[in-house]
Amino acid sequence: MHIPDGILPAQVCAAGYAITGLATWYSLRQINRKPDPMAEIPKASLLTAAFFVASSIYIPIPPASVHLILNGLLGVVLGYFSFPAILIGLFFQALVIGHGGLTTLGVNAAMMGIPAWAAYHLFQAHRYLGRKLPEPTRIALFAFLGGTLGLGLSVLIFLTLVILHLPAEVDARAEQAAVVAFSLGHVLVMVVEGLFTAMLVLFLHRAKPELLES
Amino acid sequence: MRYALGLLLVGLGSLGWETPGLAHGVHIQHRVISGIEIQARYDSGEPMQAAQVSIYAPGNPSDPWLKGTTDAEGRFRFTPDANQPGNWEVKVRQAGHGDIVSIPVAAMDGPMAGEPATVPSASLMKQPGELSPVKHWVTIAAVVWGFIGTALFFSRGKR
Repeated sequence: MHIPDGILPAQVCAAGYAITGLATWYSLRQINRKPDPMAEIPKASLLTAAFFVASSIYIPIPPASVHLILNGLLGVVLGYFSFPAILIGLFFQALVIGHGGLTTLGVNAAMMGIPAWAAYHLFQAHRYLGRKLPEPTRIALFAFLGGTLGLGLSVLIFLTLVILHLPAEVDARAEQAAVVAFSLGHVLVMVVEGLFTAMLVLFLHRAKPELLES
Repeated sequence: MRYALGLLLVGLGSLGWETPGLAHGVHIQHRVISGIEIQARYDSGEPMQAAQVSIYAPGNPSDPWLKGTTDAEGRFRFTPDANQPGNWEVKVRQAGHGDIVSIPVAAMDGPMAGEPATVPSASLMKQPGELSPVKHWVTIAAVVWGFIGTALFFSRGKR
């Protein structure tokens, strides 16, 4: 679901870099306010590796196949570390795997990183909402919702960007139908990523709950 | 009456015999030409079916010279204009994904001038810089090891 080079006009790519620059600055500022900013780097680094590899894991959904993104998972587990982690992961994906591109790095980082923040804040709501549910159920439910929302928002941004910037030479109706079918194919991936996020968060909650305290 | 009908049929038959140009004759001519075939695949290996193809002639990168769609195997064939040698750009796009490939087409001189130009087939089969699957996964493993090394480095200081 990465936007490659040559799909979007230059102004949109520049705007993507501007938004990503601001979002990275804000993330680093939030990280610096922590008592020990270095403490979460190992966790962030390992999840960046998972994010980097995830785009090479394909789920066959006819007519094509889709790959995992895991931006919702990174948001839920890493909090404000998720944006720089996604930015670095996308940079290596563009260089090594050929997913996305360097001109669209800013757009892709904003498209996946800002929904990761939304996933983080949704997951943190488990501290205030659903108090009647048992704690593991509540944590798993909000982790599932966070993992699903992260990818869902990214798909919506992708859909909007591609449909709003169709070049004149493209058959607009065919391309719109293809983009909508591609986005619908991600509904299953959203569920898979939501379940995966819930399982990981439940495991961390039982094995090392301090990792979820970010 | 029967004679009159027979005469009419003979008359129509002879009319047809004498004017073969009115019949639905079919003539097929053929000549051997060289063209370009591209095949577009997603990096998962699946062909890009019914993807939109735009072909740009050298010197006119804004208006497509030809437009079309790929077949079920992700293939598209076209014959570039021999009078426009240079880099022909082929853009394939589907659902916000796509790529551009630049295909060099040499000018043809002498008796073959006017015929479609040829390109070396090898340049279409593999893009420069494309890694084999083994190298691809080795590179991925190296990057992953870099992330693991970073994690180990930053976790070491706390002990």
